[in-house]
Formats: sequence, structure tokens, C-alpha cells
Amino acid sequence: MQKQNSPNSGVSRRSFLKWSAAAGGATAALSAADFAFVPARSSSHAQSAAAAARMVRTCCPAHNCGGRCPINATVKDGVIVRLESDDRTYDELDDPRILACARGKSYRRRLYHPDRLKTPMKRVGERGEGKFEPISWDEAIEMAASEIKRVKETYGNSALFVPYGTGSYQQVNGSHIASRLFNVYGGHLGYYNNYSWAQIQRATPTVYGTQTTGGQRQDWVNAKYIIMWSWNPAEMIDGSNSAWFIKKARQNGAKVVVIDPRKSLSAVALADEWIPIRPGTDAALMSAMAYVMITEEIYDKEFVATHCLGFDETQMPAGLEDEESYKDYILGTRDGTPKTPAWAEAITRIPRAKIVQLAREYATIKPGVLYQGYGMQRRAYGEQPVRGGCVLAAITGNVGIPGGWASGIAFQPTAGPYWTGMPGGSNAVETSIPCFLWSEAVIRGKQMTGKDGVVGADMLDNDIKLMYAVATNCLVNQHSNINRSAEILKDTSKVEFLIVQDQFLTSTGMFADLLLPACMGYETYGLQDGWKYGEEAIFMPKVVEPAFESKSDFRICAEIAEKLGVGDAFTEGRDERGWIDWIIENVYRPGWMPNIPTIDEFEQQNIGVYSVPVTEPAITFADFRADPKANPLPTPSGLIEIFSPELFNMNQPEEIPAVPKYIQEWESPFGPEAESYPLQAVGHHYLHRVHSTHDNVDWLEEAFPQRLFVNPIDARARGIEDGDQVRVYNDRGTIIMPCRLSNKIMPGVVDVPTGGWWTPDENGVDRRGAVNTLTSERWSPLAFGNTQHTIMVQLERHQA
Amino acid sequence: MANKQLGFYIDLSGCSGCKACQIACRDKNDTNLGVLWRRVYEIGGGSWHEQGDALVDGTFSYFVSSACSHCTDPACIPVCPTRAITKRAEDGVVIIDQSKCIGCRYCEWACPYGAPQFNAATGTMSKCDFCQDFLAEGKDPACVSACQMRVLHYGDIEDLRAQYGTAGAIFPFPDPSITQPNTTFTPHRDSVPSDDRSAQIMNPEEV
Amino acid sequence: MNTSELALVIFTIAAQMSVGAFLVLGGVHFFATRYAGIEEADKLSDLALLAIGPVLVFGLIVSVLHLGNPFNAWRAITNIGSSWLSREILFGILFAGGGFLFTLMQWRKLGSPGLRKIVALVTAAFGVGLVVSMAMVYYTLPSVPAWNTWTTLASFFTTTLLLGALAISTAFVGGYTYLHARDRAESEKQRGILVITLRWMALVALVMMGLQFIILPLYMGYLATSGPTAEQSAAILIDEHGLLFAIRLLLIFLGAGVFSIFIYTLARSNRNLRLMSTLVYGAFALVLVGEVIGRYLFYASFARIGPL
Ligand SMILES: Nc1nc2c(c(=O)[nH]1)N[C@H]1C(S)=C(S)[C@@H](COP(=O)(O)OP(=O)(O)OC[C@H]3O[C@@H](n4cnc5c(=O)[nH]c(N)nc54)[C@H](O)[C@@H]3O)O[C@H]1N2
Ligand SMILES: Nc1nc2c(c(=O)[nH]1)N[C@H]1C(S)=C(S)[C@@H](COP(=O)(O)OP(=O)(O)OC[C@H]3O[C@@H](n4cnc5c(=O)[nH]c(N)nc54)[C@H](O)[C@@H]3O)O[C@H]1N2
Ligand code: SF4
Ligand code: SF4
Ligand code: SF4
Ligand code: SF4
Ligand code: SF4
Ligand SMILES: [Mo]
Repeated sequence: MQKQNSPNSGVSRRSFLKWSAAAGGATAALSAADFAFVPARSSSHAQSAAAAARMVRTCCPAHNCGGRCPINATVKDGVIVRLESDDRTYDELDDPRILACARGKSYRRRLYHPDRLKTPMKRVGERGEGKFEPISWDEAIEMAASEIKRVKETYGNSALFVPYGTGSYQQVNGSHIASRLFNVYGGHLGYYNNYSWAQIQRATPTVYGTQTTGGQRQDWVNAKYIIMWSWNPAEMIDGSNSAWFIKKARQNGAKVVVIDPRKSLSAVALADEWIPIRPGTDAALMSAMAYVMITEEIYDKEFVATHCLGFDETQMPAGLEDEESYKDYILGTRDGTPKTPAWAEAITRIPRAKIVQLAREYATIKPGVLYQGYGMQRRAYGEQPVRGGCVLAAITGNVGIPGGWASGIAFQPTAGPYWTGMPGGSNAVETSIPCFLWSEAVIRGKQMTGKDGVVGADMLDNDIKLMYAVATNCLVNQHSNINRSAEILKDTSKVEFLIVQDQFLTSTGMFADLLLPACMGYETYGLQDGWKYGEEAIFMPKVVEPAFESKSDFRICAEIAEKLGVGDAFTEGRDERGWIDWIIENVYRPGWMPNIPTIDEFEQQNIGVYSVPVTEPAITFADFRADPKANPLPTPSGLIEIFSPELFNMNQPEEIPAVPKYIQEWESPFGPEAESYPLQAVGHHYLHRVHSTHDNVDWLEEAFPQRLFVNPIDARARGIEDGDQVRVYNDRGTIIMPCRLSNKIMPGVVDVPTGGWWTPDENGVDRRGAVNTLTSERWSPLAFGNTQHTIMVQLERHQA
Repeated sequence: MANKQLGFYIDLSGCSGCKACQIACRDKNDTNLGVLWRRVYEIGGGSWHEQGDALVDGTFSYFVSSACSHCTDPACIPVCPTRAITKRAEDGVVIIDQSKCIGCRYCEWACPYGAPQFNAATGTMSKCDFCQDFLAEGKDPACVSACQMRVLHYGDIEDLRAQYGTAGAIFPFPDPSITQPNTTFTPHRDSVPSDDRSAQIMNPEEV
Repeated sequence: MNTSELALVIFTIAAQMSVGAFLVLGGVHFFATRYAGIEEADKLSDLALLAIGPVLVFGLIVSVLHLGNPFNAWRAITNIGSSWLSREILFGILFAGGGFLFTLMQWRKLGSPGLRKIVALVTAAFGVGLVVSMAMVYYTLPSVPAWNTWTTLASFFTTTLLLGALAISTAFVGGYTYLHARDRAESEKQRGILVITLRWMALVALVMMGLQFIILPLYMGYLATSGPTAEQSAAILIDEHGLLFAIRLLLIFLGAGVFSIFIYTLARSNRNLRLMSTLVYGAFALVLVGEVIGRYLFYASFARIGPL
């Protein structure tokens, strides 16, 4: 990013070096590396007599990476010189080592990156121009507090907003801290759901009545068949070690199948078979599988009869007996289209024989796991495959048994992970919006109603006027349709003040009125537990001092709170360490970790990770399975709702059918848009980054370069060769970036890994590969969720 | 310590290409960008076919993590004009003495594994030294202890071969008879032999 | 091709040219002595001899540029026991030393002609050793099929003799022009030596070119049939560098072929010395450029078995 330079003009690299030398005490040899201020190995050898290295067990500042891994940091002269993986030696199923990924192992290059935000800065040019000037902390805190106060007094608390941001969950850093600040100051417009799994989170309970549909991973070794549907844990982790647990299951005899338009890392390393599917058509494949199971009568009839609702006409809910049952839909009794494998072949591009094979295997090789990743639900009508997958799990009778899996979002049945134990405080503003619709609330908040997903009130009483964006790049980079977001944010009459608190000048930061430098995870206290799975808590001592003038999010918010006169309410007299102590003692110990070490023990004994071995993995829904009458599900009927009366009553059968259906996406190869934009584009979660975080880390760029992946068939048809610069575009924007010809992506689909830093050139063309340049802000009908994987594009070779 | 020969074992069937090993080696050795003592190849080949509306995938792919194989008959040692490269008697580890190397890059030509990596900053050749300092401390090599899938192991090559077999002639590596490398593999379901002409390194700019 | 390989191109060409020139000069001197007596023989050859040294020294200096860490260069001869690279450097030093000694003796007429002859023969042997070890550096790499073939040796020697012959021709023409300008009468004998020498040198050039044109198709055939890595090298030569490849052949053909035939015919009939001289200069220039391109292609064709 060219503009990346401007914020650093205030503090030159030279002074960065000087600073780091000062931070390191008497050391003078902090220069050798050309890129960062890490001392070269040779110079640290030279002074090994001066200061002995010390190893500190801590946790990788995970961000929202899909995992949470212990890290052993070697510290010398106040500088981290090495990051090693979990050094526990026991490595069995019940309590395995938790091994860091490439991002965690590269962290020094982020921590000691020369582009770190060094001082507070205020905007001096037009909003979005990226011109800033360093200011003092006093001035910065004063500015933040007075703007917050002004907006509150002018519009009311509901004009304040803390956008969704996943940069940190380590308790004292993260966007939840800003939310706590606003809460003690009278509240703010809230949001619900997230960009990760809005649709699966909403749709799963329509079948099971709960989001806790998963078991514990130790149970996977009992499975004989595993479908990894749109699931890529080798790359997106999904709880540290999930890929390894699948490997264990496979070693134990399970056959593993991956269904994904990309031959993902998981498809290569974990699967026996990869079934490429046309994106957005999973519900069609699921329907055809059900067709095979029903017509061949290999589904679990008994389980369906006793545990399900709405499978066929015999078990329709009272009063809805004449409505279309699941079986009606599958056999086409009402719509005249039997959902045969041949029908699905044309939609999914999967050979019909393969569909038949898949259906037979899943229905007969028991027990089986159908695990849903979140890629196929981050799409138009992403609710449908979620429900479809749950229904397949149900009609094959894989619910509530060891080695089975109910599908859906599959949260763990144990108490953890907690993510954050930091109390957020109560929000006096009861209204909230779906988090994806923040841009709507900026441009037309006062017109938003329940139709737009507003809850807690009939309508919003305000547009968003001030945003405090902490640990997020979701205002620009990670939100859909960047060019639109940029226009919205540029307009200072809409969002009147934007505070961005981050570690780098992100594309969101470019639009800030006030930029505040947050310190990194290694530079303050923290405590993290598993991402989705995980039976451990990992303590993070303060390993090194905050770089430059950066401070923890907690410290910054505490200072603003102080200025606003709510300092005590905000801190409750605790500092960062005090809060970690409080969380251990008040959240974890009374919760599911009675034997968790105290903070003193953690710190003094250099413990790092505390884990709770799992010798008998919990099996969700086992009691329901044993006796559905005695142990009903939390659905209205107490049964597995294949037909959902709740959805039926919403009366939008085209977009929210009562039984899961294949619905053609609004941008699709079957629609007229395919004439101009014939290729589907997904933006998968790449191992280079956590979303946009780590995009500037050179070791990771070397290992996982940013590029567009395209099948040789589509490339050659356009005269594109491997490594060429390509132009990928649609009506919303254009990206120019290098490409990689790859047989690992199916023809008709391209992949622009999500998270490249939006870098517009003078023509507004993104030069880095921020996939959201191309995505649409349209939300899904039921969950109001982001649909960022659903887009059509055209591709051509770029002549420079 | 009895005379033994250290070597690596990689279960290719479970290597995900996650590159934790590669980065662990970087972090441990502070190697400069472009100098990859351990690196991960993406191998692929085959093609797609249309069958009516359906697509049939006729492609194959697998990953191979690779460093120096501390060969029994190393090609790098005899060619080195300065005797900078030596093979330790006690464990067969092949090490380049930085103080002797003149950076002629002859070993780089000779080694059929791409193990020696020229360090432009020092003008000398460098490569995997089997984390000799870690071994001395009784620790596992950084890459081994980092492997997320637990498919990368090390040990006395005789033991590894006895336990996991002797597969070595896997693309992109040449016939092991040339240098007798001390790395043994479990093949991936897709992996092809050394002389398979349909296979290709798919990520040349990453390695 | 990076600068370090460019250094190798220059070094190997310069070294081979000086060895070739030294060998050829020895032969010429031998016959010239019989033809015109040692005094006359010395006149032209001593001038030529003086030109050889600087070329070699230049080559050796450039060769150091190819090292990443030149300060350690002295270590390069510590593995004579197994490294052809060490041997190459050793022979390079020996040849340079012998050549220096011989030149000094010859120039100052130190020692008896017999002793000088012995020094010359030993130096020539060092030169041959230099070219042999130079070729062995590449020939002994089974990991690089494009080099691991007898044609590496053969082509290094044809280059050596071809460049040697044309370099000596050029030196003689230059030397003669110098002598002629100083003393017209005295130069008559020298003209005789010159013309005979040019005739023979033209023949040598023609034969070397012939050999090269026999080796080349054999080499390409070898590349085409020796596995994927060799094919990769062939593809680099033909697909990537086809034009250079063709230019190189054309230059050699013109210089060592067409020009040499003219030189030969002119020299036989001993007419038009002016044109002959021009042709000699031209032939040398064409062949030198051709050989430099050829050597460049030799390095460019590098493809190693196994992953890069
Ligand atoms: N390396 C890495 N890991 C991460 C993250 C990261 O940024 N980088 N982010 C973390 C976060 S916050 C989240 S929410 C998760 C996200 O995890 P996911 O949402 O599961 O990850 P994605 O890569 O978006 O999608 C998973 C797979 O779905 C495939 N896919 C896309 N569309 C379709 C479709 O229509 N049908 C089918 N069958 N497959 C489809 C993609 O090709 C991809 O391989 O990852 C977490 N882990
Ligand atoms: N097209 C497309 N878009 C997507 C997705 C997709 O699959 N496709 N995935 C979506 C998903 S699942 C998610 S979760 C979102 C994630 O979107 P975001 O939550 O915006 O995640 P990041 O881009 O990682 O931005 C996090 C920011 O926090 C900063 N940060 C890190 N640590 C700290 C800290 O301790 N304090 C402070 N103050 N800042 C910190 C980082 O520097 C970074 O700029 O993206 C969504 N966007
Ligand atoms: S998975 Fe997450 S926590 Fe673990 S090392 Fe990678 S980035 Fe860090
Ligand atoms: S792999 Fe290469 S560098 Fe390593 S010992 Fe063998 S020949 Fe030498
Ligand atoms: S580069 Fe160094 S180690 Fe390699 S052959 Fe030359 S001197 Fe020996
Ligand atoms: S053993 Fe050590 S030096 Fe060798 S590849 Fe592994 S980490 Fe790198
Ligand atoms: S860490 Fe292990 S799984 Fe990952 S690339 Fe290396 S060898 Fe393969
Ligand atoms: Mo997410």
C-alpha cells in the first residue's frame, strides 16, 4: 500500500530502531534485519554473555484464526527472538499437543514490523485520503471523549456503534472492550450474529432447536464415514488440532470425503475422495442424496418415524397436514421435479453415479459424520444447505450416537470455549441490528425495521453517527462491496466521527478521523481458550513491553472512560492483569475448570496451557435418541424439524421454504448475469492470513502468495498463463493481481483468497486482491447474513 | 553414541502443505527470505474432462516437505573445493562450515535435492544442519516438533525404515541411488514415482 | 543467467583461449623454427606470447567475481583430492605460473632453448590439465544431464583449439603489421612465416568447426533421449534461446568456416595480405562472439534433476 507510508512519516524508521534499542535496555545491536527491528542471530550470539535468553510459555495472539495455540517465546534483551510450538510431550487423543500454524510461527515478523502504528494520529486530509498527523495521547483521548460526548448529546446513545471486529479475543484487547466502554456510558446500538456463521447459526436451531449440535472431537475416531462438506480444517483450523483428529479417525478406518469446489489442503491431506461441486448448489446435491436414500429405502425409517417432524405426509404438524412434506419435495410430487441424481448432476456438475455412491455410502456406512464448514453458508440462501445437511444426518439416523454427528453449527456440549470472559456490561440501548447490516444503519438507520432484521424495537431511532472501530477491518476490507463502503465512509455527514484502533494502518484505518495504536498480544496480559473446540485455557503473560506508544485496548478505553467521567465504572479498579485474574477466578474456575491454576501459578511456574483431558467424549442428543418423549429437543415440537412450522409461518416460501430446498442463487451460472460474468468466485480463508490480519507478513507472503486461483481450462480459454497478471471484475469493482493456474479448483470457479489489503490505484482498481472489491452487500433472507462467497465475475489477462 | 545415521521420515499421505515446518525452520534459523532450508512442494498433474453436464476430475495432487537428506553418499561433499561441507561421523549429519565456504555454489549444482541454499547476504551456502544445537540440547528439530499433522519425524534412519518402510523414489525426488538420501516416506494416495512424466511442481515460486 | 554465471562465461572462454593459444603457438613456433630458424621464429611468437598472459589473468580475476565470498577464495584449492573445482583452480594457477615463467625466460632469453622447451612443455601440460579439469567440473555432475556427457569435454577442447588458432592468427597478423611498419625489408621473412601459419590455422579452425558440427547433433540427440531434465535443457536451448542458438551457429560457420576457407585460399596463393588480415580479424571476432554465446548457452541450459 503506497499510502501505508504516510502515517509513518511522523516517526521515522530510525527512531523505531532507537526506540527498540531503548526498550531493550543497554543493547545497541538492534539493527541488522533490514525489515524489522529483530536483532540478527549473529549479533545476539555476540552478546549472549550479556543477557541470558528466557523462555516464556504463552498463547499465540490468535486473532480470529480458527485456533488457539500455545507458543513458547524466547526473549532476549526484551526482544522475542524465537517462537516455538507447544513443548508438552504427551500427544494422545484425550489431551494432544496443540501445534501452531504458519501464522503463529511467523508472528515475529508482525510484532516487529516497521509499519506498526506508533503514535496516535489525527486525520489532516479528506476522509479516506489517508493523510494523518501524529498527536499526543492527551490530545487523542480528549478528541475521542469529546466526540463521543457530542454525538451522545446530539443524537443519543443509539447513534454510537462498535462495529463487528474479530482482531482479538484475549480479554483485555478486542472490540468487546470498546463495547464495554459505551455500555458504561449509557449504551450503544448493538448488533447480533457475525460474518462467520450467521446463517448456520440461525438455521441450525430451526431443525434442532439449539446450536449445541456437536459432540467432542475425540468421538470422531468412532466414525466409519466422514463427509467434510465445505469444510477445510487443515487450513481454517476450526479448533486447533481438528485436522489431526480427522487424520486419527481416518487411521481408525473411517472413509473421508471432501465436498468443495476447491481441492483444499484438507482434500489433499485428509480425504480419500474429493467431490468437486459447483458453488451454491449443495442443497441440490443433498436433495438428490435424499432421493436415492428414499427411493432405495436405505434411510433410517425407524429413527425418522420416532424422532422427526415433517419427513412425509404421515408426520406433518397439526394444522399443516396438507402442506408439502420433505418427501414431497424430494420426489417432486408437488412441483413436478423429482430431485433425481440426474437432475442434480446438471446443477452440481457431479456425475450422477457419484451422487448415488455418496448417498449409499452415507446411508449405509455407519456411524457417519456429516460436518459442515461455513463456506457454503456464507452464500445466498446459505440457510438451505445448513438445514439440508441436518436433515441428511437425521434421516440416516446419525444423531445421538457415538461416531455420528447431527451436523449444523455443532457447538460443543461442554461449557467452553468462552472466547471472552470479560464482562461487557449491560447495554441500555436494547435495539440491535444484524452485524452485516451496519452500512444500512449508516445510510438509512431510521428507516430500518424488523424487515431489516432490527430486533429490540420496531425501528431504529437513529442513523449511526459515531463508530469506534476496534480490532476490525470490517468497515472496508472484510465487508462486502468495498467501493460502496468507501463511498459511505467518505461522507462525513453520515458517520460524523470514526475512531479506528488497530496495530497497522488498515484499509479501514484509512477512513479514520482518529487512529489509535493498540499494542499486540505479546505486549499485554491475556487469556485465550479454544476457537470452536478446545479443552484448554492458555494464559498470556506480558512477554515484552508495548512497542512505541501503543497501549492495550483496555488501557486506551480506560483513559477515554476516565475523561468521560466513567473511569471507575469501566475499570472497576482493575488493570489488565487484574482482569485476567478476575476472569480466571470468576469465569473459568466456577465454570468448567475448577482446577485451573491461579494467575500467580500460571505466571510464576511458566505454565502456559492448562487443559482438561477428554477421555469420554460427550455425545450430543444421546438422551433424546434414547427417549425422545422424555428428553425432547428444544424445538416447538420437541422433534427434529425437517419441516419447520416456524419458517412456514414466515410465509416467504420462495426464499424461506419450510423444508430445505435448492434455490438458485441471485448471482449464478444459470442466471442472465452469467453472460457478462460467467465465472463464480469464492474467497476462501487462506493460510497466509487471519482475514486481513498478517497480510503484510513477508514470511507468509513467501509461503502463501496472494494470487487468484483459476483452472487451466478457464485460463487458457482467455489466453492466461500461470503467473500472468489478470483483471478480475464485475459491476462492483475490478482487481488486478497475479494468477496461479491450478487443477485444484474446478472449471468455472475462481478463488481470490479473502483478506488481501485493498490497495486501490489511481483508477480505483484494487492491486492487491481484496475479494470484497467484487462482493455484494445483499444479505441472506432468513439470517440477514453475509453472502460473500456468492459472486459472478469475468476474468481477462491484464496487459500492463 | 554408537555410529548411526540420522534421517527424516514423512508420511506424505497426511502432509497438508501447511508449511508450519518451513516457518519453524525459518524462525529457528533466522534465514533470510528466499533461503529455504525446509520447503514444501506442491506436486500435481492430470486434467479435467467434461462428461455431459458433469465434470470428471482426473487430476492428482500431493505435498512434499523437503530439506537436506544428509545423504549416505552426498553429492555435495566431494565437489566442494574448500572442504566446507563435512559429514559428522557420529550421526551422519552433513554440515556446511560457513567460515570456510567461498560461495562457489558448486554444491548447489551437485545436490539433486535443492538442499544447499545460497545466502546472498553472507555470500555463502547454507542448508539444514539438522538443528544440531537442538539435538545437542536433547530437543527435536524445530521442523519436526512443529508439524501440525505429526507426519514429519526424525531418528536413526535404520529404525525409521524398519518402522515405516523404505520408499524414496517419489516425484519430485530423483532416484535415491544417486546420493542415498536418508529420508523415507509413506506415499500419498496420489504420489507418483520419480520418473513419472505427468507430475509437475505446481508452486515453483514458493520453493 | 546471473552475473556470477556471466563471470564463469568470461573466465572459461578467456582461460580456454589462452591455453589454446599457448598450445597452438608452441606448434607454430616448432614448425617456424624449422622453416626459418629460431631467431625468426621467435620474433612473431614472442609478440603473441605477450598477449596470452593478460587474457588469462583477466579471466582468473573475473572468475573470482563468481564467488559469493571472494575473501575466502584461497581456500578453493584445499580439496584437490576430490573436487574438480579445486583442481581447476590449481591448474589455473600452475598454468599461469608456468606461462609467466616461460614468457619471462623467452622474453629475456633466459636459460637454454632446451630448458625453455621443457618449461613450455610443462606449461602446456598444465594448460591441458586446466581445460580437462574445467570440463570435468561439469562433466562429473550426474545431477546436470546437460553437462554430464562426453560432449562437454569435447566441446571445451574444440573451443580451446578454435579460439587458440584464431587468436594466434590474429596476434600474428597484428605482430606482422607492427614489424612491417618498423622495418619493411626485415619483415619479408616474417611474411613467409605468417602466411604459412595462417594457412595452417585456417585448417585447424575448419577442422574444429567440423568437429563442433558433428558434436552438436550428437549432443542434441543425447539431450532428447536422456530423460525429462535433459529434455528441459534441450527446451531451454531450442524454445527459449532458439535465436541465440542459431546466431551462434551462424557466427561459427561464418568465422571458422567461410572466412577460414578464404583465408586458406588467399594464404596458399600468398596474395592480398590486406584482405587476409581483415578476414583474420573478422574470423576471430565472429568466432569469439560465437563461442561466448555458446558458453552462455552452456550455462543457460542448466537444469538439475530433482526439485529446484
Ligand atoms: N487460515 C485461516 N483460517 C481461518 C480464518 C482465516 O482467515 N484464515 N478465519 C477463521 C474464521 S473467523 C472463520 S469464520 C472460519 C471460516 O471457515 P469457513 O467459512 O469454513 O472457510 P471458507 O474458506 O470460507 O470456506 C470453507 C470451504 O468452503 C468452500 N466453499 C465455498 N463455497 C462453497 C459452496 O458453495 N459449496 C461447498 N461445498 N463449498 C464451498 C471453500 O472453497 C472453502 O474450501 O475460518 C477461521 N479460520
Ligand atoms: N469476501 C469475504 N469477506 C469476508 C469473509 C469471507 O469469507 N469472504 N469472512 C468474514 C469473516 S468469517 C470474518 S470473521 C470477518 C473478519 O473480519 P475482521 O474482524 O475485520 O478481521 P481482520 O480483517 O482480521 O481484522 C482485524 C483487525 O484487528 C487488528 N487487531 C489485531 N489484534 C488487535 C488487538 O489486539 N487490538 C486491536 N485494536 N486491533 C487488533 C488487526 O490488525 C486487523 O486489522 O471477515 C469477513 N469477511
Ligand atoms: S491456529 Fe491461530 S492460534 Fe494457532 S498458531 Fe495459528 S494463528 Fe496462532
Ligand atoms: S541432500 Fe544434497 S546437500 Fe544434503 S547431503 Fe545430500 S547431496 Fe548433500
Ligand atoms: S558453495 Fe561453499 S559449501 Fe558449496 S561447494 Fe562452494 S565452497 Fe563448498
Ligand atoms: S532439522 Fe532444523 S535446520 Fe533442518 S529443516 Fe528442520 S528445522 Fe530446518
Ligand atoms: S508441518 Fe507437517 S503437515 Fe505441514 S507441511 Fe510440514 S510436513 Fe506437511
Ligand atoms: Mo469468521
